[in-house]
Amino acid sequence: MRTVLTISMIVVGFALQITSYFFLAAPWNPLYSNPRVPFAPALFILGVMLVFLAAVVYELLPEKQVQ
Amino acid sequence: MARYAMVIDLDRCTGCRACMMACKVENNTPEANFWMYVFRFEEGQYPNTHIWFMPRPCMHCDNPPCAKVCPVGARYKRLDGLVATDWDRCIGCRYCEVACPYGVNYFNWKKPSKNYYLDWQDEDVQKVTGGAVPPYRNPDLDQPYGVERRRTAGGGRLMGVIEKCTFCVHRVERGQQPACVQNCPLFALHFGDLDDPNSTVSQLLRRKPSFRLLEELGTEPRVYYVGGHPPSTESRQIEEVKARV
Amino acid sequence: MAEQQGTLPYGIGRFSARLFTLIAGLLLLVAWGLFTYSRQLLEGLVVTGLRDIGTMGGAAWGLYITFDVYFVGVSFAGITVAALIRLFHLDHLRPVSRMAEALTITALILAAFSVMADLGQPLRGFVNLFRYARPQSPFFGTFTLVIAGYLFASLVYLYLDGRRDAALLARRPSRLQGFYRLWAAGYRDTPAERARHDRVTLWLALAIVPLLVTAHSTLGFVFGIQSGRPGWYSTLQAPGFVVMAGVSGIGLLLIIAAIMRAILPEGERVHRGIFRWLGTLLLLLIVAYLYFMVAELLTTMYAGSRHETEISRSLLAGEFAWLFWGSVAGLVLGALVLSLRFLPASFQARIPTISPRWGMVLGIGALILIGLRALQGLDLFSPFSVTTARWLAWLAVALALIAFLLLLPFLTRNVVAAGVAAGILVNFAAIGKRVLLVVPSQTQGMLLPYGPGWYKPTWVEISIIVGLFALGILLYVLFFKIFPVMEVHPTEEGAE
Repeated sequence: MRTVLTISMIVVGFALQITSYFFLAAPWNPLYSNPRVPFAPALFILGVMLVFLAAVVYELLPEKQVQ
Repeated sequence: MARYAMVIDLDRCTGCRACMMACKVENNTPEANFWMYVFRFEEGQYPNTHIWFMPRPCMHCDNPPCAKVCPVGARYKRLDGLVATDWDRCIGCRYCEVACPYGVNYFNWKKPSKNYYLDWQDEDVQKVTGGAVPPYRNPDLDQPYGVERRRTAGGGRLMGVIEKCTFCVHRVERGQQPACVQNCPLFALHFGDLDDPNSTVSQLLRRKPSFRLLEELGTEPRVYYVGGHPPSTESRQIEEVKARV
Repeated sequence: MAEQQGTLPYGIGRFSARLFTLIAGLLLLVAWGLFTYSRQLLEGLVVTGLRDIGTMGGAAWGLYITFDVYFVGVSFAGITVAALIRLFHLDHLRPVSRMAEALTITALILAAFSVMADLGQPLRGFVNLFRYARPQSPFFGTFTLVIAGYLFASLVYLYLDGRRDAALLARRPSRLQGFYRLWAAGYRDTPAERARHDRVTLWLALAIVPLLVTAHSTLGFVFGIQSGRPGWYSTLQAPGFVVMAGVSGIGLLLIIAAIMRAILPEGERVHRGIFRWLGTLLLLLIVAYLYFMVAELLTTMYAGSRHETEISRSLLAGEFAWLFWGSVAGLVLGALVLSLRFLPASFQARIPTISPRWGMVLGIGALILIGLRALQGLDLFSPFSVTTARWLAWLAVALALIAFLLLLPFLTRNVVAAGVAAGILVNFAAIGKRVLLVVPSQTQGMLLPYGPGWYKPTWVEISIIVGLFALGILLYVLFFKIFPVMEVHPTEEGAE
């Protein structure tokens, strides 16, 4: 359960990074100066943070079985 | 969509710098900001010396290093070719300034009210003006321009933002010429649409060989020079302008 | 060493008079820095020495960007040490791992503030970067990966790594018990939890290393992709930044480790092996960086464009010559100091013993003279005539060399002192090289014939930078007054 949550956080985090990076603008086109989605860079940072928060989740969540 | 460009005829330029003054008055640029600047060069050794002059507006490059590096997209290239600065969005990082090979950017180091050429609150000045602050600010400069409706005209708007030559976007959108072009007494400056074969710029470029500054950098500037040559190692500046704020 | 029950180790929670004086002094410097920043916000950046490139003959980027690069460079140390420990099982480096992590976090916070200090519209910058940041701009990498990503990752690493110590310290009653319980978040020191923690920190270290390389490289790219600035436009910028980051970071870590060793009662845990190991790593990084520097300089001097040659000439023999050769000396002497311990033992035994006191006195004297000469050169404090100032500079060089020679025997025998000396030398050199990176390409070698300019930082910039350093030291000291600087040993838990 904990592993599933961790891995899904990592996957979602990377997916968020990749989509928000390519959402921002077509690379190398100086005509494009507005992100297609407002606050897209904030989403990118959120993706980065999610990936690292997954580590915290993995360590903090208790084992399923009773100690 | 028009493809605007400027052609500067170096055979005609006499270095009078009327274009610099016209730009300053039209765009209300503060002290030491020279959106349009004219180099004055001397070449050769006596008795074969030769003086020539080179106006230098913003090049409005097709591959603009300034627009590429702007972190927030405040400096951007419009579809008609003008490279504009949205002073509502600029964060004042000056990355475009260090990236520009031509040195055309000017930052608003001071509060605009402290950077005027005259202190309008001064008592002696007020004896002449009667207390009125003359129409110092061109009201056109506060309006949004372009289909994107961004405020890109005028100088000295805000402390802490960057600005540069706009090809007088507020005039061009009304079908007028930029102030420097309009005021040159010798018709050395020309502005127009490269896609129109009958415009002055297209005709000039067809008739005379032309060059652009720093072409080897791949910036693809939209300012063409005819009737002269690029500054070389031989070109010495007559006076070193270090107008500091 | 029986600890009293209820006393926390590593001086946590204990504030001596000396510490209060230090904190008071640092707060004063921070307050002064804030005051000068408020003047900059009010009057605009005109209060700095920065001016436009081109017709104004100034430099648009100066001390703030220099120290932004420096602080991001210093942040290299933390995660490198942590990664080395995890990935290569270098357990003997463990005592410095938390110091290094805290250094990284502090340095990144200072880097963020440095950039904010440089912006003309800082509040707008804060909002607009989150809203509109473009990935085409190299600043995007600096903003998102470095300041947001790298900082956050280091905080996560510090948090997870500290849970065990927090749990151990939470077992005894103290004023910080609630804080430790919160940090520990239910950590039980069972073998299963320890195994899980090892696994997680291994993967975390693995994940942060590419972030580290990307972070320093994007900062290098901020300068390296600019074809319009000869001197900056170079493929070596990104790799050079990574190596220089290592030099300044490890150097500062050596200084901090030596301070901890000296002031903590448990200081012996920061054993000499750490200084030997980090010293060797630093030596290798310095040599690599010197190689990069030589390669770049030889290329531009042999066949550079006339703009690049103009810049190189100003570095080697022009207005930046003192700064350049001073920084090179710092790096070379630092490398020399670190290689002293490799001298054969028989040779070392024959070196006469000289007390380090004389060397230190002369060294401090030299630093004061250099500082005065620098202030005179920047037009900030000019009590001397030009001739006197020139003599002072050469006197400072002579004093520094004599001090160095006098300290050599002590440094050969004392690997900790050698580490500290090298750390100080290379950090001054790093700051010098950063200034030489940022400023000359803006004031010399412009592609259009504007003629050379100049840049002299003002008291505003210097005050803000000093305030930032003070803030960093303050945060660092205060953090280690509430959390252990090294791992808590089971014997220090106190009787249960």
